Amino acid sequence: MKLAFVNNLQQSAAEFKAMDAQDKRRSIADLLLNNAIYILLVIFVIYTWSRNNSFISTSSIVNVISLSAASLPIALGIGGCIVLTGTDLSAGRVVGLTAAISAALLQATDWGNKMFATLPEMPIPLVILLVILVGGIVGLVNGFFVAKFSLHPFIVTLATQLIVYGLILEFYMLNGNNGQPLSGLSDTYKNFITGALFRIPTGNGQSVAVPLYVLYAIILVAVMWFIWNKTTFGKNMFAVGSNPEAANVSGVNVFLTTVMVHTLAGCMYGIEGFIESARIQSNTANTGLNYECDAIAACVIGGVSFVGGTGKISGIVMGVFLLRIIFVALNFLSISGNMQYIIKGLIILIACSIDMRKYLVKK
Amino acid sequence: MKKVFALTMAAAMALSLAACGGTDSSASSTSTESAAESTASSVSEAATEATAAATDIKAGVFYYAYSDTYISSVRTALDADLEAAGISYTDYDGNSNQTTQNEQIDTALASGTNLLIVNLVTSGSSDAASSICDKASAAGVPVIFFNRAVEEDGKEGAVLGAYDNIAFVGTDAPEAGHMQGKMIGNYVLANYDAIDLNGDGTIQYAMFKGDAANVEAIYRTQYAVEDADAILTEAGKPALQYFDSSNADKFQLDLQGNWSAQAAQEYMQTNLSQYSEANGNMIELIICNNDNMAEGCISALNAAGYNLGDGQSKTIPVFGVDATDSAKQLIADGKMTGTIKQDAEGMAECISTLASNVAAGEDLLANTDSYTKDTANNLNNKIYIAYQEYAG
Repeated sequence: MKLAFVNNLQQSAAEFKAMDAQDKRRSIADLLLNNAIYILLVIFVIYTWSRNNSFISTSSIVNVISLSAASLPIALGIGGCIVLTGTDLSAGRVVGLTAAISAALLQATDWGNKMFATLPEMPIPLVILLVILVGGIVGLVNGFFVAKFSLHPFIVTLATQLIVYGLILEFYMLNGNNGQPLSGLSDTYKNFITGALFRIPTGNGQSVAVPLYVLYAIILVAVMWFIWNKTTFGKNMFAVGSNPEAANVSGVNVFLTTVMVHTLAGCMYGIEGFIESARIQSNTANTGLNYECDAIAACVIGGVSFVGGTGKISGIVMGVFLLRIIFVALNFLSISGNMQYIIKGLIILIACSIDMRKYLVKK
Repeated sequence: MKKVFALTMAAAMALSLAACGGTDSSASSTSTESAAESTASSVSEAATEATAAATDIKAGVFYYAYSDTYISSVRTALDADLEAAGISYTDYDGNSNQTTQNEQIDTALASGTNLLIVNLVTSGSSDAASSICDKASAAGVPVIFFNRAVEEDGKEGAVLGAYDNIAFVGTDAPEAGHMQGKMIGNYVLANYDAIDLNGDGTIQYAMFKGDAANVEAIYRTQYAVEDADAILTEAGKPALQYFDSSNADKFQLDLQGNWSAQAAQEYMQTNLSQYSEANGNMIELIICNNDNMAEGCISALNAAGYNLGDGQSKTIPVFGVDATDSAKQLIADGKMTGTIKQDAEGMAECISTLASNVAAGEDLLANTDSYTKDTANNLNNKIYIAYQEYAG
């Protein structure tokens, strides 16, 4: 494995040597351009660190990792929809709905204004299954309408976004809850999500805890990596994404693949909702609002192309990290949040331009 | 097969339409509408024959957003009050969009609504309010504004003084900030040494602002600190100090303007990765524009081992505004310190009184002498519902 990598390097080094001066310059420029985002990121991190040294400290790094872990599941889900040249606008609202359901079912039994006052403490695995199911059903509906009627996912998911929001508002009015926030979650639930996976000592007896949801995010990344790269379904997804007609001709069930990609995405939103609910600990009808924007941005920055058929799990993870690093760095630099929008916008623009450049060059 | 499917779809559609248009549903039932459409979401035909005049009144209640926690409380209370008064009404969700709300008002007026009860979306915009008043006066319909301000600060009377047959029921925007500031000042003074974790003699505070443009958010952010400082300096203590000396804003803002727990949680978690007791720069006091943000902060503090309410962990004082049910519970559990109650029932009751006046054919402002009014600007039709401190 390692040897192959070294061989590869040697080979490209040899190829590089064989080029003439002009080609050499072009290939270096290409290398720089293709990795511009990462180069900018490194510069940005170094700059932030030089202004505020605590940016690169154990507790700060743990903070970035846990913030990223929290927004990974939704990005992993939405990535598949983008590979199919689609999108999913309902993602944030599905997170909101599943967060509300998780919270309502897992409120502490002694909480004063429990939504379902007589409900005993529910087993956590059951609730997880339920929210995955709820998310999956919304995804199934999305996928079905996209595949069956060749509707653009933008339209279908816009519709389901509105429907799900209506359901959320209804849900918060249930049982005399009157739109009040759902909080007071049971300790078992809170510990299951935000409890310490392990603690890293930071000197003089202090330590910083890595929350458990980081572990769940890692598991999800591994599972999604396996699905995308090692299963027939994953290969079919890329085939449908790059050319549905060709995929159809070569025997791929385009209908089923589309439905399954959206359903899988929905399941991921369900997990995201389950995690968010306990992480924020106060859920309102606006929980999850606009989460899809950040998730789509993360995917696009990470090289999941809107052209379809390309994308890597590692890219999505990088994209999520990049957005979170910007958020944290601007806080450490005490820069007004308004700048965050500008920087995010610029990065998306640069990332997409670089991405499209590859296709333009090919043509 | 295809025909069967098409038929099922059509049937489902017809069913959902029928469900939405439910005529004699009780007031508490609400159906789910996308706010993009300007459709009614809860129709109540009050079947009371007691007041003959009341049956002639068709009130339209326009909320700025159903998703708002406090507004939900007002809606529940107002639905019940109007029902009790025998006034038929329809609720609308503006979904945080003034254009949507204007369209809903146009549609409602066209369909014969003869009393507008409006929770303006663009808080504190006299232009938005005037355009609604213009529509109403053209149709000869009275307007009751509530909750969100209808005039800019310093332009008092621009709307309320300019039209007949309108009223405003709300809160004095700066009052919550003043009251929160007073509460914080007194609390900090009483527990000064316990709060001052690093023993440097000053209290480092964090401030979370819900929305950049909302006047309530602006006043709360300003006065909560100013008034607390006034109390502290009077007692010979140094003023509060923002925890991050390089942040000129002296607050952290929910960029989406949602006053959300999520924004506060993520800011606070990030703050805690840099500011801690070990570094001697721990945040010693947290002030939030509302209770949702306070809950978000408490979630981040919990993760770092603070405010667990178990009597052993240290508690950083956290203050909010709204007195939501869950905030009250957190205060009871010792995880949160105080909040300012905005009286949803009181506001609903006052609006209902005004609506009943209209229904009974009396003057819009009859029977309101017991309420506090904006006497400073001589506006008899601007009614204030008082805030109250809540500390358990």
